[in-house]
Amino acid sequence: MNSKECVAMILAGGQGSRLGALTTNVAKPAVPFGGKYRIIDFPLSNCSHSGIDTVGVLTQYQPLELNTYIGSGQPWDLDRRNGGVYVLPPYVSAEKGEWYKGTANAIYQNIGFISQFNPEYVVILSGDHIYKMDYAAMLKAHKKAGADATIAVIEVPWTEASRFGIMNTDENMNITEFEEKPEKPKSNLASMGVYVFSWGPLKKYLIADENDPNSSNDFGKNIIPQMLKDGLKLLAHRFDGYWKDVGTIQSLWEANMELLDEDPKFVLDSGSWKIYSKNPVLPPQYISETAKISNSYITEGCEICGEVEHSVISAGVTVEEGAIIRDSIIFGGVHIGSGAVVYKSVIGANTFVSPGAKIGCTDDDANSDYINEKICTDNITLLGSNIVIDEKIKIKSGSMVVKNVMNNAEKGEE
Amino acid sequence: MQNNIMGLIFSENPEANLGDLTNKRALAAVPVGGRYRIIDFVLSNMVNSGIINVGITTTARTQSLTDHLGTGKDWDLDRKGNGLFLLPYYESDNVVGGIPNIFNAFGFLKRAKQDYVVVSDCNTVCNITYDDVMAFHMDNEADITLIYANVGKIAESELKRHIFLDVDDNNRITDMQIYPTIQKSESSYLHSFLIKKDLLLELVGDCMAHGKQSISMDMLLENVSRLKILGYKFEGYHKKIDSVRSYYLFNLDLLKKDVRDELFGTIDDNKIFTKVKDMIPTKYGRNSNVSNSFIADGCTIEGTVKNCIIFRGVTVGAGATVENAIIMQNSQILENCLVENAIFDKEVVLRKGKKLVGQETYPVMIGKRVIV
Repeated sequence: MNSKECVAMILAGGQGSRLGALTTNVAKPAVPFGGKYRIIDFPLSNCSHSGIDTVGVLTQYQPLELNTYIGSGQPWDLDRRNGGVYVLPPYVSAEKGEWYKGTANAIYQNIGFISQFNPEYVVILSGDHIYKMDYAAMLKAHKKAGADATIAVIEVPWTEASRFGIMNTDENMNITEFEEKPEKPKSNLASMGVYVFSWGPLKKYLIADENDPNSSNDFGKNIIPQMLKDGLKLLAHRFDGYWKDVGTIQSLWEANMELLDEDPKFVLDSGSWKIYSKNPVLPPQYISETAKISNSYITEGCEICGEVEHSVISAGVTVEEGAIIRDSIIFGGVHIGSGAVVYKSVIGANTFVSPGAKIGCTDDDANSDYINEKICTDNITLLGSNIVIDEKIKIKSGSMVVKNVMNNAEKGEE
Repeated sequence: MQNNIMGLIFSENPEANLGDLTNKRALAAVPVGGRYRIIDFVLSNMVNSGIINVGITTTARTQSLTDHLGTGKDWDLDRKGNGLFLLPYYESDNVVGGIPNIFNAFGFLKRAKQDYVVVSDCNTVCNITYDDVMAFHMDNEADITLIYANVGKIAESELKRHIFLDVDDNNRITDMQIYPTIQKSESSYLHSFLIKKDLLLELVGDCMAHGKQSISMDMLLENVSRLKILGYKFEGYHKKIDSVRSYYLFNLDLLKKDVRDELFGTIDDNKIFTKVKDMIPTKYGRNSNVSNSFIADGCTIEGTVKNCIIFRGVTVGAGATVENAIIMQNSQILENCLVENAIFDKEVVLRKGKKLVGQETYPVMIGKRVIV
């Protein structure tokens, strides 16, 4: 195999349990975003635009949909004769076989894969974030500084800094200390989970880490602190664009809603740095005489006959006449029946909301059996994929519904 | 499922006249329906029927078409051995009729593994599965099967757009009236036929040897009594795009739900493929007012849009009104403009406050990249 200067590895095995019903059957990186994307489209498109044409995607939790989605890598221009995108699940070898125990172990288990390309550098990415970033610029800084590892950092508000992995640096952006979720942060530069490593040192540390029975085999907890301790050159690379972890229903909802702002912080459509995604092959959207749309993103294949306000609607959604959707994210193939009302909700793919149903309402007689304060913060209502909400059912705001809700309970699956 | 049929599509049709729309592009490459080119329909029909080997004839105006088709990957036609073949055009060939076009494709036809060929014009738009035509052809042991539709009684002025077929009770075609002045039949040929490859080569070779160029006149009509030429009746929606008027009406037909559902195969999964552009979803502004319109992705709509077909990446500014119009890719209609009964080619810019009003029966057409 031809050697590559740089190989990217995307950690896409996480469950994303705080996304509740959205990740029951799919891994977090396969969760939809912004009407026609999935979270993993962002790192994959970034790789493609950064000229990194060899990408390993490490899957573990519910990989089926993600594997199918990535396919040959063609939508991201990653179907290459030499290189391209590779889906890398854990596997069994002659000696042993085991799940990916941690982020570092996942890369350790794929040392063989990476070594095939004999790279000088390895970029480690997570499949959890919404951002547009030029990894080539970061690699250039890494090379220029002669660093062993370069970690992308972003300034976060001081009040939130204790939620992140914080990098303390000297004036030349050399990392002097790394603190995971510090109570009293000394800096507000948070790690973005984007690393460039020189492959030689990284390989050595991965092997050493694997041989340490007390290690939790994690980049943030083990590899980076150990490298710092040993005096390796670790550089912080400042990123000043938009970067958002969409790991909770609230942050996912907020990130979608931010796209609709008058002056959005994150511009989806920015010229040549397009985010690529797999195309669903659908006709344009049809907007009927009875439709009323305001401040919303709507995707191909939709039939809109109702009212849509301040919402993001994915491909192939039907909104019947008289239905009202406000402040919501509707995933692909959803059907909203006539007269149904959807407020401040996230509705999973192919779910059917029957006529007259009310989702996310505050009526006193609304069904509050599904209230989920842990997942559905900020009174957001979440409906899972492929479920049916029967006619005139009212679902209280702040609920998470994962099964059919029928008027005649016998018909339901409960 | 893969089958024993290959496809041959003509990218031009000398009988069609789309004015400025075909100034610099092949008929097959004319944009339609918000995100498609005319050829997407016949090509997708072939792909949906399991045809994986398709040749497309070309002319001098082929750049738009080659840009659009690329390697054929968006139609899943980037195949080993088979796939999508753009058949070269030779200036010296004086290719006028369909016969010399097929003759030009002899190399492609002979080399192909398939034994049957669907030969089709590009500009009759419908959603048809050729497997059914093939089954009909085999069951009836036909030599040639022509696809036709019942078009009912046609206005006299429209007769010159049709080839009518006399089809007997056994589906056998006994006579043809090519662009007649009097209507004797309601069965109109849809410019697509199925034939065994060897027979096609023989018939075309014979026509060439006699200096004959017309498929309908010289190859089909000439042989109605000698060969078993059958008619396969297609019952679905179809539209021949051969004039600016029919182009405009076809686009507006897409505002009808039953036409959309059938033509785009959203129900039976015979989807229409096209080149993927990776546009973002369409953004509707706070004061947008959209009604009865078919809108592709990547648009920004701030104004009023009514009864329109809007292609990918179009901007309609605040206070602008666009009615009964077809606005092609990346055109910009800026603030407070008024557009009625119009066809805008790609990348037209209408500066703030401009008015462009055509007649319902005669839409005004603005050429590619024109700035008004």
